[in-house]
Amino acid sequence: MSVADRDLVLSGLKTRAGSFELGSIDLKVSPDRVLVILGPSGAGKTMLIDTIAGFRKPSAGQVILCERNLTSLPPEARKIGVVFQDAALFPHLSVRENVRFGERARGASSHQRSDDLLNQFGLGALAERAPRSLSGGERQRVALARVLASDPELMLLDEPLSALDQPTREELRSVLQGLLVELKIPAIHVTHDREEALSLGDDVGIVVDGRFRQLGTRREVARSPADEVVARLLGWLELGHGTLERGRVSVGDLTLTNISDDYSGPVYVFYRPEEVLLGDASPEVSATGQFFGVIESVLLTVPLARVTIGSKPSVTVLMLHRDLDRLALRPGVTVAAVIPPGALRLIRATSETE
Amino acid sequence: MIEARAAAGRNSPFGAFQALMWVLGGLLIAFILLPLVRLATTSTPASLTHAAETAEIRDAIQLSLQDAAITAVVATFLGVALAYVLARRRFPGRSLVQAVVDLPLAVPHTVAGIALLFIFGRTGWVGAPASHIGISFYGSQWGIITAMLFVSAPFAVNSSRVAFEAIEPNFERAARSLGATPWHAFRRVTLPLSVRGVLTGAVLVYARSISEFGAVVIIAFYPVTAPVEVYNLFLRTGLTESASAAVLLLAVALATFLVLRALASGWVLSGIDRERR
Repeated sequence: MSVADRDLVLSGLKTRAGSFELGSIDLKVSPDRVLVILGPSGAGKTMLIDTIAGFRKPSAGQVILCERNLTSLPPEARKIGVVFQDAALFPHLSVRENVRFGERARGASSHQRSDDLLNQFGLGALAERAPRSLSGGERQRVALARVLASDPELMLLDEPLSALDQPTREELRSVLQGLLVELKIPAIHVTHDREEALSLGDDVGIVVDGRFRQLGTRREVARSPADEVVARLLGWLELGHGTLERGRVSVGDLTLTNISDDYSGPVYVFYRPEEVLLGDASPEVSATGQFFGVIESVLLTVPLARVTIGSKPSVTVLMLHRDLDRLALRPGVTVAAVIPPGALRLIRATSETE
Repeated sequence: MIEARAAAGRNSPFGAFQALMWVLGGLLIAFILLPLVRLATTSTPASLTHAAETAEIRDAIQLSLQDAAITAVVATFLGVALAYVLARRRFPGRSLVQAVVDLPLAVPHTVAGIALLFIFGRTGWVGAPASHIGISFYGSQWGIITAMLFVSAPFAVNSSRVAFEAIEPNFERAARSLGATPWHAFRRVTLPLSVRGVLTGAVLVYARSISEFGAVVIIAFYPVTAPVEVYNLFLRTGLTESASAAVLLLAVALATFLVLRALASGWVLSGIDRERR
């Protein structure tokens, strides 16, 4: 079977639960791609996973995997591995029995594959333990091994990292990254964490209120959010509303120039807080409009500190702690600031967004 | 201030409120225990031995034990299925079905017996066709089990339903996505995780069945179950004479109930329980 034959294709997929409707969704995930679906709670992400996995009947459309139409097949016939947020390990079975569950369900006589996976995931020493005695990270490793032991043709990951503490999450994220590259099967990972989305996804889809607001490569979505909802989800901050004319837009007292956009009309102006320059404006960006403001607050957050400048409108800057010290930035100090053109995203205010 | 008040609350568990609760609760416990203790102390070992050696009393107790056990098995088998549907499916009329399940708790048991006769009596909808294949519910063990099942079914359904509802739904979804059929997922995941609730339901059905009088006496006066035999003795010989048979029934019913309860919640399931905590 060629790579193209192992695609996941969703066509016109719609699912309904009460008054909430998800879709219609048309998308394709090839075996060498990981699609991360990012959205706030209640956006319909888990509903999409449920529909693809067969736990929920779609009201319209088709789910096609490896050229098989799965739409009317029960979950056990789909060959789709699902990793749940809570790992969903069977509490009455040992780690080993959990990983063997799929082989037993299919009546396989050999457990070589599951035993290999236990070792591969570093679970050999934990094999006879009960799931309740494992840490969150260990549980998700068992869940991953259990899914892989049933040789899935598609992986669905439903926020598997969100219940973990930060260090474990980062460790497991790198395990997942390596695994998804190695697997060569299509994978959909849903999350509400943008960092997770941008580190794991080759492609990123943004779902809000049951609809895809944007779907594209990680870079496209991160750098060119399609609307203000997507921009906010991806960490862009809103400067305000203005009117773009001849490459120039004013928001409050700030005027931003040299904007390479032929459009003229009302726009929402967003900026990347970590790309704002403070202190000594460099000559190549000074033309875009340098402004001065008094520092209102400095929050020593990690990894980047958060500086708020009391300009009109106020501007938040994320910066390295060492630059805070170097520039002696503290509340009450007046600083020069520049928002480079590359750190700006102007979203046209359509009738829908206004 | 708040801490001081909390500390005072912790240090004086026997405040006026606590005392009132203890007194009221104690009254209820005394109300339950006193008649039983008084009953037990009226009998001498000799009178109990005599009662145990009386064939009618022995047969009646044996019949009650046997039929209550059969009822527990039947009620659990059917109740688990209904409990699963109620716990897992949302369908129109679900709360109506749940109300129907609880109905036997509200129906006076003699009324239940009469209602059962309309269906299972010789001319009843089920009784009439059944009599053609030689099964009679009226005055038979079939009738006793039918009456016991009617009054005890809610315990089987409700206990299992609560157990199923307590299971994380993702366990079954995980099992299905790993290739398990609905039956395999039920047998290997749902049932082992809810076995304590299912068995507790079975024990409650057994306890309720062994004590049933009203519905049984109407559908099957004969063969005589233990509660009916105690009632007969009471009518024939009076309070003192019937007390020995009553104590014997009480002892057997309590002993089996306690043993089954211990089995359902104790060492038989200790392995499963350990995993679940």
